[in-house]
Amino acid sequence: MRRIGVGLRPLLESVLAGLIGLGVGAIIMRAWGYNPWPAYMALFKESFGSGYGLANALANATPLILTALTFAVGARAGLFIIGAEGMMYMGAMAAVAASFFRLPSGWHALFALLGAALAGMVWGLIPAVLKAYRGVHEVISTIMFNWLAHFFAFYLVANVLVDPIRAEKTISVAKTSRLPILFRGTDLSFGIAVAVGLAFLFYLLLWHTVAGYEIRAAGANPHAARYGGVSPRRTVLLVFILGGMAAGLAGAVETMGRPPTYAVYSGLTNIAGFGFDGIGVAMIGRIHPLGIIPAAIFYGGLQAGARLMQMEAKVPFEMVRAVQGAIVLALALPELARLFRVFVRRARFQEKKT
Amino acid sequence: MRRLGFVLLAAVLLTLPALAGRVALILDVGGRGDLSFNDMGFKGTEEACADFGWEMVEIQSATSADYLPNIRNAARTGKFDLIICVGFLLADALNEVAPEFPNQKFAIIDAVVSHPNVLSIVFEEQEGSALVGALAGMLAAEYGYPYVGVVLGIEIPVLYHFEGGYRFGIDWGLKKYEEVTGKKADVGLLWVYTGTFSDIAKGKAAAEAQLEQGAVAVYNVAGPLGIGILEAVTEKLAKEGREAGPPFMIGVDANQDWMGDGNKVVASMMKRVDVGCYTAIKMVHEGTFQGGVLSLGLKNKGVGISRYQDLLDFIEFGIKAGAITEADRERIVENWQAMRAAIPGWIWEAVDELEAKILSGEIVVPKPETREEMLAVRAQYPLTR
Repeated sequence: MRRIGVGLRPLLESVLAGLIGLGVGAIIMRAWGYNPWPAYMALFKESFGSGYGLANALANATPLILTALTFAVGARAGLFIIGAEGMMYMGAMAAVAASFFRLPSGWHALFALLGAALAGMVWGLIPAVLKAYRGVHEVISTIMFNWLAHFFAFYLVANVLVDPIRAEKTISVAKTSRLPILFRGTDLSFGIAVAVGLAFLFYLLLWHTVAGYEIRAAGANPHAARYGGVSPRRTVLLVFILGGMAAGLAGAVETMGRPPTYAVYSGLTNIAGFGFDGIGVAMIGRIHPLGIIPAAIFYGGLQAGARLMQMEAKVPFEMVRAVQGAIVLALALPELARLFRVFVRRARFQEKKT
Repeated sequence: MRRLGFVLLAAVLLTLPALAGRVALILDVGGRGDLSFNDMGFKGTEEACADFGWEMVEIQSATSADYLPNIRNAARTGKFDLIICVGFLLADALNEVAPEFPNQKFAIIDAVVSHPNVLSIVFEEQEGSALVGALAGMLAAEYGYPYVGVVLGIEIPVLYHFEGGYRFGIDWGLKKYEEVTGKKADVGLLWVYTGTFSDIAKGKAAAEAQLEQGAVAVYNVAGPLGIGILEAVTEKLAKEGREAGPPFMIGVDANQDWMGDGNKVVASMMKRVDVGCYTAIKMVHEGTFQGGVLSLGLKNKGVGISRYQDLLDFIEFGIKAGAITEADRERIVENWQAMRAAIPGWIWEAVDELEAKILSGEIVVPKPETREEMLAVRAQYPLTR
């Protein structure tokens, strides 16, 4: 376990936290007069008990793995990047815009994916430069850049990429640029391979290259890292480039791989939120690229199971969301506590220095 | 002993309500609690279930990525005699799922999905919108307001029906005003697509802007955003130290006249989503269901302008939704009657006249379906000052 950068303890903590979350969810349901047992049966039966449900869980997990990577690589370098949401919008816009070009099948999808990664990266580079050269705090700048991206994307959807006969959405991604569906009758696309592949790449980069070591060193102790010759500027830029790419791809896999419309809706209703959900997923996955994969699948499974909780156990939608919230919060707490401890330690260190 | 057993069994069977069918109601991201579109779908389904002894299961969608799996999942269970998709936004997903389950019966509100197992229920919104447009236009001219307003949701083709009909109606009403009074009417239209069917704050902000510029009424064409529009109207009135409009809101989908104490919503363009859902279930129950398009307009009471009986019906709807209580009923009815009585009689007569002419086919209200057609209608009725 040590070799891949996690111990057994975090795993046990997470399992325990998950059980506590399920318990809290059960108490919530019981308190409002719903029977938690059939509700949980329905939830897990759908998400992990049937091929279709599992495919749906994996499809839901696909963009979340990518946006979680954005947060994780930042957190490893000691940065709190909230900007995956905006970078993801940019990636989605680029993925749709790529359909203005005509290319052969396959190459077209590759072109669109690269364009989306580039768009996310460029968008991420602005707050990175602000941080590296002007010291603008990344939390503030990335939140602001999320809003800029939000309204910019809003504008693009309504005016530039708009479908001329259906004004409520963008043009649909060209058939040649769509990610193939892996199993007929599901919505699981080749995007999952992109997401899992990138997670492995990030893992290799972080734990088996010098650049990755420097990122982690900067996160673990920025002063020691600088003393050891790690350039803080280079680290910040690298982290945002990697994170921007991942988030840009998240927008792309969702628009290029999610039937039936393969487009972005006005109001961004089919892509909004993945960036923020990714933060939760990253926490559950202990901000580790490989931990993120099961965390995202679990999160995606919760979403997939929500419909059967409504359909079979007759738990109303709002209650389903509350229960999911309890589970996710409990699962995210251990990592949140760890990050908080690191933060406090660093603040104390700063105090002593001044 | 055995005889007693039979009697008991028979008694149990008789008292148990026989479950005649099951219907799944799939909602878009707007969800319940809008006191309009989605709640109307729920209302009609609930009434049909009560009348025919059916069971209803309601499935809401968190994001639009849920539409496809929600519909597919409901169909996969094979437990539902009918799956109703409430809203245009579900059309693409249904178009994909319907051929996968050729024996499953589907209905969709507000969109045409052409598969033999899908009943597409659409509305002639332009007819009802023309009536409230005429009313708004005449009110503005009569009370000397420079504008009438409309706040719309996401720019989808269905909403073009509303906008097109409203523009036509305003124009008709202004001409009527000139004909009746012999005075020139100088009234413009303020319109905005907010791009949302769920962000109530955006509806409020848009309505505030229109009221500030002098809109006599703001037509809600954005479902739940009406709650924000009504807030804006109420605050504007409070600022002027009055309780009853003008300015007014014009309600949509449900009859929303009862909201805001009965004297702030001058009329509603009722789009009876409930009638659509009820009809679909009835057809399945009676074995007359078949795929195709069912168009509900003025003539089959699918759309219409709200009247007294509608007010009484929908006060019950409001009480059931928990928005008002029994104690409010009398006051709301009184306020509403006073509000309507304060408006000159010729205006109401003119609205009736327009309705009769649409019903007889003498007047055909434009029904834009695409962006191009909408642009043409906007050019024909620019309504600028």
